[in-house]
Amino acid sequence: MDASSRRSWDRTVLEPFVEIDLAEIAGLSSATPLSIRSVSLFSDSHQTLVLIGTGGGKLLLLSLDPSSKSIELLRSVSISNRPIESIEILTEIDRILVLSDGFLFLVDRLLLQVARKLGFIKDVTAVVKRLGFGDSLNLDFSGDGLLKADVSSAGQRLLQKLGSGIRANGLKQLRVSESHRDKESNCLIAVAALKRLVLVELTVSATIDVDFDYGGISVRLKEMQGVEGVKTMAWIGDSVIVGSLDGYMLFSASSGKCTPIFSLPESSGPPKLLPLLRSKEVLLLVDNVGVIVNDVGQPVGGSLVFQYVPDSIVEMSSHVIVARDSKMELYRRKTGTSIQSLNFTKSGSGPCVVVSDEQRSGETVVVATSHKAIFLHKVSAEEQIKDLLRKNNFKEAISLLEEVESEGEITEEMLSFIHAQLGFLLLFDLHFEEAVNHFLLSKTMQPSEVFPFIMRDPNRWSHLVPRNRYWGLHPPPIPLEDVVDDGLMAIQRGVFLRKAGVDTSADEDFLSNLPSKAELLESGIKNIIRYLCVSRNKDLIPSVREGVDTLLMYLYRALNHVDDMEQLASSENSCVVEELESLLGDSGHLRTLAFLYASKGISSKALSIWHILARNYSTGLWKDTSISVEHDLPDVSIDSISGQKAAAIEASKLLEESADEDLVLEHLGWIAEIDQDLAVLILTSDKRVNQLPPEEVLKAIDPKKVEIQQRYLQWLIEDQDSEDIRFHTLYALSLAKSAIEAIEGTSGNVDSKADHEKKVSDVDSGPGNSIREKLQVFLQVSDLYDPEEVLDLIGRSELWLEKAILCKKMGQETLVLEILALKLEDCEAAEQYCAEIGRDDAYMRLLDLYLDPEDGKAPMFDAAVRLLHNHGESLDPLQVLEKLSPEMPLQLASNTILRMLRARVHHHHQGQIVHNISKAMNLDAQLARIEERSRYVQISDESICDSCHARLGTKLFAMYPDDSIVCYKCYRRLGESVSARGHDFQQDPVFKQGWLVTR
Amino acid sequence: MAMPSNKNKNAKLVLLGDVGTGKSSLVLRFVKGQFIEFQESTIGAAFFSQTVSVNDESVKFEIWDTAGQERYHSLAPMYYRGAAAAIIVYDLTNPASFTRAKKWVQELQAQGNANTIMALAGNKADMLEARKVTEEEAKTYAQENGLFFMETSAKTALNVNDIFYEIAKKLVQAQTVAPNPSGMILMDRPADQATPRTSSCCA
Repeated sequence: MDASSRRSWDRTVLEPFVEIDLAEIAGLSSATPLSIRSVSLFSDSHQTLVLIGTGGGKLLLLSLDPSSKSIELLRSVSISNRPIESIEILTEIDRILVLSDGFLFLVDRLLLQVARKLGFIKDVTAVVKRLGFGDSLNLDFSGDGLLKADVSSAGQRLLQKLGSGIRANGLKQLRVSESHRDKESNCLIAVAALKRLVLVELTVSATIDVDFDYGGISVRLKEMQGVEGVKTMAWIGDSVIVGSLDGYMLFSASSGKCTPIFSLPESSGPPKLLPLLRSKEVLLLVDNVGVIVNDVGQPVGGSLVFQYVPDSIVEMSSHVIVARDSKMELYRRKTGTSIQSLNFTKSGSGPCVVVSDEQRSGETVVVATSHKAIFLHKVSAEEQIKDLLRKNNFKEAISLLEEVESEGEITEEMLSFIHAQLGFLLLFDLHFEEAVNHFLLSKTMQPSEVFPFIMRDPNRWSHLVPRNRYWGLHPPPIPLEDVVDDGLMAIQRGVFLRKAGVDTSADEDFLSNLPSKAELLESGIKNIIRYLCVSRNKDLIPSVREGVDTLLMYLYRALNHVDDMEQLASSENSCVVEELESLLGDSGHLRTLAFLYASKGISSKALSIWHILARNYSTGLWKDTSISVEHDLPDVSIDSISGQKAAAIEASKLLEESADEDLVLEHLGWIAEIDQDLAVLILTSDKRVNQLPPEEVLKAIDPKKVEIQQRYLQWLIEDQDSEDIRFHTLYALSLAKSAIEAIEGTSGNVDSKADHEKKVSDVDSGPGNSIREKLQVFLQVSDLYDPEEVLDLIGRSELWLEKAILCKKMGQETLVLEILALKLEDCEAAEQYCAEIGRDDAYMRLLDLYLDPEDGKAPMFDAAVRLLHNHGESLDPLQVLEKLSPEMPLQLASNTILRMLRARVHHHHQGQIVHNISKAMNLDAQLARIEERSRYVQISDESICDSCHARLGTKLFAMYPDDSIVCYKCYRRLGESVSARGHDFQQDPVFKQGWLVTR
Repeated sequence: MAMPSNKNKNAKLVLLGDVGTGKSSLVLRFVKGQFIEFQESTIGAAFFSQTVSVNDESVKFEIWDTAGQERYHSLAPMYYRGAAAAIIVYDLTNPASFTRAKKWVQELQAQGNANTIMALAGNKADMLEARKVTEEEAKTYAQENGLFFMETSAKTALNVNDIFYEIAKKLVQAQTVAPNPSGMILMDRPADQATPRTSSCCA
């Protein structure tokens, strides 16, 4: 720690407010000055009383009126003719204890009665009152008044008793009960006299169990030995810490044990100690060093190093004040930093005395220098900070604020108040970042307080701005731009003054490195954005929330932070659209505006913007000249495509959720132009609660956009389970149309170039096939379309399979067979169809077709043979033979007949084998059944029914194949097929080894 | 906190040694990682605290950096009383400071707690060309007296963290060997056993 860090003398913690000359106030001539030797302060309900002890043994009582700051002499008494060394105010017993001329005197609080000398002790060098902090100490005053733990021997004790001659006798009477004693007002003091340390209890009562009695105050003593030349003392709790010329030591009041703390070095000043009430510690002085120990004598924290060896030390709140000659210095207790130094005019020789009313409010300090007493009062932390702020000493103000905050000397509310005030000052000082940091530390500052920095008054939120001027140290808020202008002007003035040799309070950094207006404005805006962003998360009333969001957008726009603008606009926000509409429109932030409209539910406006944007992109209107210079054409086209697409995507997002039929259908067109998928997505969105009326939609879909129509219908039918015949028919027709077009495209008899191109592309992707597949599947699956209408459409096309499906639907079996067998020559499908029909005559008809295809086609003998081979057994051989035409070549015919006959024989044999195997199995099963039924089962007394768990005893019982046994009753209940173990033999038959065919 | 928890213990540590040996610099380096070429002479004593982790336990050192000036010698017992560890610092370019260090060791052995872990630090190890106390000499002395020895440099940070870490390690070990040696662990209020070793009265 270097010297500079220990000093920060810009503070005014203490402020003198009145100075008195003691002789003057006592009405004496200045020729007979009164020297001040001791001072004590105490307060009653409405005034502060000051007791001053003089060098001539006088005690003066002054009253100090804190409001008028006037001092008045109330009374003065003469105690002795020697200096008054110390004054202790014993509030508990309402007395004042004075040390003078080696004797102790008790006097009433208002000096009305004669002072009584405490005759039991003389040669007193120090006296101190115990600081108990509310706890009670139980000292053993019984017995002979000496401690059990006293180290001196009995002999010595006797000698001392005789020698001192003041000890009362016969103290073995009844002990006052603890509860009784608590009710009395008592006070403990420690007195050092020659080689003794006496602990004294002073009680206001007429108890007989006492050593002495002084005007209603009874006294009991306890004596300790082993200490000499005590100069100063403190009594905290159980510990009496004494300072003698040798050093400091600690006595335990209860046990009498003595522990040295440390000894003083050679030729050091007299010991001096100061009890620190706040922390229950004691400051021990060595030269100019203050060592702080706790109530058990252990050091606490680092040493305080004072400028000089003080005459007097006193504690005031978190400070330690030292005084010497006519100087006074204030140190911060925790850090040891010196924070204020005061000098007074010297008024004569003699030590300087400083006291505070720390036990009370800790607000008043008295410094007495010989004949004069100066009264000082503590300037509150707020006032100190205010003063520093007024001097533009922000750094010091902040560090003081941190100190008082860390010591909890300031209310939360005040802390917030000061942070806000600091923030405003820093803001006007163009330190925007720090300003906002302080704004954010203030818990009471309203976000609306920054509104006037953003938008010129009057505006929509003017009435919301609290007229909070704090300490009035800053000008009223004005728009940021003006703040920057004014601030820059002040800096320039500072530069000018500096050159002219005039000292200014302007900021050093700014003077040496003048920032530009643009930089400052940007920093200001950025930081206010930061503040607003944090404020957004607070719990605000709706109108303020609107202001915060709208102004945030305003500031983003000022910095052209497009991403942030769009982010804000598209997320949940409270922006007021009317305020931003024209602003964003004029500055071309159309996307933001569209997002904003969308977030506010004004979909129609948002959509029209997206529409405009999409159009502009496509016509290149969006292009900024500066951009087109920088970019090559291909880039631009890509950008325009992606821009267009983005607009369409955003629009479709809105439309997907919109149930407004007109709006959807209005915008469907341009979106479909850009991306058909998006259009389909819009139509088929499941985000809307009420679906769009399909008729309207179908009407609105551009007839050229077949794909959209088909996908919409498909969605209606497949996803929405629409059973409307019209849609099914429409879908079938539409698919059929597409299939026909695809086929015509691939069949090659086209000549237009456009069609040719289409064909090439179709071949690549094969949509014709996929469409046909789709069509076929749909025709197969759906029963709701009108097959005749579809058949009408495809009647002249080559879509034979589709025709077959349609005929099937219409039940035209012969036609189906004709198409399958003759047109498509798909024997398998034809046979399959016959199987579907399931009648023998179908095969017969098919055979007929094969053998006599008509239309001049040759008979399909191969197919016929195949049919006979596969299904010959189900055909009547006679009929088949009849069908065989006489023209049929013998080779083929014989083949056919042979196959047919063989097939019949084969089927016969097959049947025999199956019959015999079945018979064998039946036999096996019978055998197994007999074996199973002839099994023996042994039943004992313990045997129970597996189902009802009753003893079987002599009851009838049954056994299942899985060996579970049940009583007859349960058997009847369970039945034969399910055992007691839950085995279902019908579902899961049991097979035992040996049952199966093995023999 | 009546008893420090097993995982987190406080330990009083005192630095002793002649004036100008670099006690404050060692502490400043350890606590703040700083070094000031012209460190002011300590008056009275300065207090710091720093926590060191040993495995999964942490030792919070409460460090008393005492004044080296002879004038403040009488304050030293207050600081080393009940200390869990002491670092006795000498300047390896100054033989007198080594002699003074030996005296501190003697004093601690006579007056201090027998359980106090003592470390001997030969500071200013960056000034090897000016060395006056050999490493062997110090090492031998340390071994004879049961001290643990390191040559350190607050300027270059050589062995500074190491010496504190070694002490922390020894404290943790001592803790596990003897669960609660008296005076080893600082209590918040060691009133019951404030000074078990001092005589009951100074008279």
